Amino acid sequence: MTLLSVQNLKVTFDTESGPVEAVRGVSFSLGRERLGIVGESGSGKTMTGRSVLRLIRPPGRISADAMTFDGIDLLSATERDMRALRGPRMAMVMQDPKYSLNPVLRIGAQLTEGLRQRDGMNAGAAHAKAVEALEAVQIRDPERVMLAYPHELSGGMGQRVMIAMMLIPNPDLLIADEPTSALDVTVQAEVLSILDGLVRDRGMGLIFISHDLRLVARFCDRVLVMYKGRVVEELAARDLLRAQHPYTQGLLNCLPRIGGARGPLPGLDRDAEWAR
Amino acid sequence: MIEIENLSVTYTAKGRSVRAVEGVSLRVAARESYGLVGESGSGKSTILRAICGLAPVSGGRIRIGGAPLATPRGAAFAAQVQMVFQDPYASLHPRHTIDRTLSEPLAIHGIADTDARVMRALRDVGLPASFRFRYPHQLSGGQRQRVAIARALMLEPQILLLDEPTSALDASVQAETLNLLNRLRAERGLTFLMVSHDLAVIDHMCDRILVMQHGRAVEEMARADLAAASMKTDYARSLFDASADRMLEG
Repeated sequence: MTLLSVQNLKVTFDTESGPVEAVRGVSFSLGRERLGIVGESGSGKTMTGRSVLRLIRPPGRISADAMTFDGIDLLSATERDMRALRGPRMAMVMQDPKYSLNPVLRIGAQLTEGLRQRDGMNAGAAHAKAVEALEAVQIRDPERVMLAYPHELSGGMGQRVMIAMMLIPNPDLLIADEPTSALDVTVQAEVLSILDGLVRDRGMGLIFISHDLRLVARFCDRVLVMYKGRVVEELAARDLLRAQHPYTQGLLNCLPRIGGARGPLPGLDRDAEWAR
Repeated sequence: MIEIENLSVTYTAKGRSVRAVEGVSLRVAARESYGLVGESGSGKSTILRAICGLAPVSGGRIRIGGAPLATPRGAAFAAQVQMVFQDPYASLHPRHTIDRTLSEPLAIHGIADTDARVMRALRDVGLPASFRFRYPHQLSGGQRQRVAIARALMLEPQILLLDEPTSALDASVQAETLNLLNRLRAERGLTFLMVSHDLAVIDHMCDRILVMQHGRAVEEMARADLAAASMKTDYARSLFDASADRMLEG
C-alpha cells in the first residue's frame, strides 16, 4: 500500500543570479516501510524531506507532477489543510535539538502545547501523555526532564525529546533528518532501535535522511542515493555493498574500516554527468 | 613526548564539583599517533584541554618532551603544541580573513616572512591561494577545517592535539581531511594525540588507543588488538560492537 507518492519533485530557489534548483526531479513512493535518503551536504536530501511537509520558505518554491499522501493531494492542499496534516498525520524530526527546541520553554511546556491546543486536553491529562511519550523513547527520569530547559539536556536526550514530541500525535509518516548525527555510537544504536520499534509496532512509514551510508544500510529497507538534487541510484539496503553507481561506491569506499588498510582513503570522484 | 601521570580534572560550579577526569595515565612516544576514544562526557576532550591549560587540573602531572609545563602556558608551549578543534564553524574568528587568522600566530611570536609563510601554509593544506582574503563564512566545512589545520601548523609545532577533527564533516570530506592529516604527519614527523568517538576513524589514524568511560581509562589497546577484536573489557567490546563500521557486516 502506498502511503506517499512523489513524482518529479523540484525545489527551486530564486536568487539574484537566477534560479537555483536544489532538488531536480525526484520521484519515489513509500509504503509502511523505512526508506533511507543518503547523500553529501547540499545533495538536496533535507529539501526533499521538507518539501513533503511543504516547509520550504520563499524564495524557495516547490513544483511536482504529483505529490499525494494517503490519497490527499499535497500540491493543491490549502495552508489550512497542511496545518491539519502536519503533526497528527505526518511529522519531521529536525537535525539539531539545540536549534529546534525552544530555548526559553521547559520541555514539559513544549511537549504538552500541541495536546492542549489541538486536542483540547486538560493540563493533567496532557502531562500524563507527555510523560508516557518520554518513557516510550526510554528517558529514565521523565518527570525531571519535563521540568528541564533544553540547555540542561545532553544532545542525546534532546534528540529523544524531539522524537517523543513528534510521536505524541501518532503520525502515519515520520521524516527523520539526521536524527542521530549528533549522538555517540552507543546512544545512536539506542535511538535507532526506538525508531525501529515504532515503525514495527505502529505501522508507521519512515523517511530516514542521513549522510552515513553504513547506518542507512543497517537500518532501512530501501535506500535512495542523491547527488546534486537527483536520485542517482535506488536499491534495497541489503544490496548496498553491491551498488552499481560509482557515486554510491565512492561514498562507501571513503569510509575508514576497523582493521582496514592504512593507506590514503580513496577520495570521492564527482562526475558532472551524474547530475544530468 | 607526552607523559601524563595520574591526571585528575575537577570542575567546580555552584559548590558542586564534577570529576571530569580521574587518575588517567598515558604516554605518547615521539612521532606516534595516539587515540582517545569514548562516549561524550567520558573526559577524552578534557585531557586535551588540560594539556593546553584550558581545564582545572586537580591532581597528577603532565610532561611534554620530559619537562613539566609552566602555568600559564607560555609562548614556548604554543610553538611546540597546537590544537585543532571539533567544529570549524566555531573555531575560526568569523570577522577575520583567512590571512589574518593564519598570520596572527606569526605576529605574536615575532616571526618575519609572513607573506611567504601564509602562502605556503595554504598550499600545504591544499587550498588555492585565492582563498587568502576570504572570510570563514565563504568556505565549506571541509575547507574551514583545512584552515584550522593550517593555523595550527603555522608555528611548526611537534605535537598536534586533534579534538574530533572530522566529526562535523561529511564522509567524503572526512576522508580528504584524514588523508591530509596523515600526509602532514609523515612529512613533518608530527606526534598526534587524537580524540574521536568513531572507532573506525581512530583505528585508521592511530597506533595505540585508550578507551575511556566516565573520566577513567578503561583499556589501552594496540591497533592490531582492535582489528583482531581481542579487547579485554566489556565496555571496549560494546563500543566495538556498536561501531557503525560493523553494520556493513551485520
